[in-house]
Amino acid sequence: MKPPPRPSPLQSLVADPAQLSTSHLPSLQSLALQVHHNLQYQHSWSALRVHSHSPLTNELLPRPLISGLPTKRLYVHPDEQIELLKQADRRRKAEDKDGGGNNVLDIRTEPEREWLLPTRLGEEWTLHRLSDVFDTISLVPPSAEPEDSASDRPANPWRTTKRVVLATVSPDSTVVYYIVQDELVKPRQN
Amino acid sequence: MALPTEPGSVQEPFPISRVTDRYLIFDVNAIMHARSSHNITGVLTGTIPNLSQQNAFLGIPLQLMPEEARVLVEKGAAYIVDDVNIHDEGFMHMDREARLKFLQEMDEAAWQKSREAQRKAEERTKKALEQKGLEKKSETPESAGLTSDTGAANLFDSPCTPAPPLSRPEKKVDPHFITPTTSYPPLAQPPQTAQPLPVVPRQYPLFRYLHSKGYFMMPGLRFGCHYSAYPGDPLRFHSHFLATGMDWDEEFDWQQIIAGGRLGTRVKKAYLIGGEDPAKKGVEGKESVRVFSIEWAGM
Repeated sequence: MKPPPRPSPLQSLVADPAQLSTSHLPSLQSLALQVHHNLQYQHSWSALRVHSHSPLTNELLPRPLISGLPTKRLYVHPDEQIELLKQADRRRKAEDKDGGGNNVLDIRTEPEREWLLPTRLGEEWTLHRLSDVFDTISLVPPSAEPEDSASDRPANPWRTTKRVVLATVSPDSTVVYYIVQDELVKPRQN
Repeated sequence: MALPTEPGSVQEPFPISRVTDRYLIFDVNAIMHARSSHNITGVLTGTIPNLSQQNAFLGIPLQLMPEEARVLVEKGAAYIVDDVNIHDEGFMHMDREARLKFLQEMDEAAWQKSREAQRKAEERTKKALEQKGLEKKSETPESAGLTSDTGAANLFDSPCTPAPPLSRPEKKVDPHFITPTTSYPPLAQPPQTAQPLPVVPRQYPLFRYLHSKGYFMMPGLRFGCHYSAYPGDPLRFHSHFLATGMDWDEEFDWQQIIAGGRLGTRVKKAYLIGGEDPAKKGVEGKESVRVFSIEWAGM
């Protein structure tokens, strides 16, 4: 008889009992691990961390949340975008004056840490539950290590509303990401 | 006929007519006022009765969503009028004198209108002839010959004058008939009576919230949501949000949110979900409605 196929790395990761704690249901923890895995290996995020307790109140979160640092900036507020474009334009003009410019609009943004909410596609949610999640998170996720270089950077003054990246896992293990923001935030000019 | 109100002088509260559970504004000045002062656009629904498919340019009345009517009433900017009742009472019990007076006014207005139209027509003819350099002659030999021959050219003339050759025959003026399009007048402005508030769907708190933030709302059917919210007059701005309202504990599927978020991002808008937290409802100084804006993360 043929031996059963070896489990995939993802399957062995989410099934590893050493990864599980007693704070949340195993299904929610394995969901968080699956999204964590996807972020790490498919989207090359760094400084990923699974949170079981709120950084604000230190209470148990409704479900494990993830925080991490994308490779490039995930979200630019439209007003910030206008400001960045103006700055880039000023730099380009200054370089042109010096004669060394290559006439490229160089927009500089630093990546920012993001909150992630892992969910499954079939789950039923309510505004109440979503609101509870937003109440437990801080504006910017705490950094992975206290002496992280990211924490030395000044806070982005444009980041004024809480936001969470909604990570929805479908049964075929596709993960889609949507940005959910607290309150009215006008759309990006993409 | 006289307008119910003069432009720019709409008295608040202004009447909103309720006809078979539809909320209508018939006064063009009230329509302008609602749009410019209260961010209420409504939908123009008036059309030509026997050509209702001719709908490229709809006119008054303006139909309001129940939410729009409710917001106006709650602000104290408008009041609801039970139009069927008012008409029944107003017209069935109108006394003879008032009726005759109104008919006479109508006749007067009709004659004035036709005289005005005739004067304009004559002016146009005169101008056209002047431009061609053909001053209207008082009499031409040909027409003089015609009149003497048959008299057919004077068909519209009064028969008793046998065409004095030097004066142009004055045409008979037909009256224009006026169909009154408003009921106020002849009826006086309808009185404010206690009327139930418009019955609104459950997404009303979201509407009220967005309206309080200065957004204009249009029906959201085109985008599969409840309202498309515009940051200013829809004639000048693109909409920012595709808003869907829910109850605080109403269950939704992430599939819905993803579909909305994806569509919204595609049309350069944000998908918005929101509802009223019953725990914060009626608490002074606290906003009871919470909303979330959703966009595709692009990864």
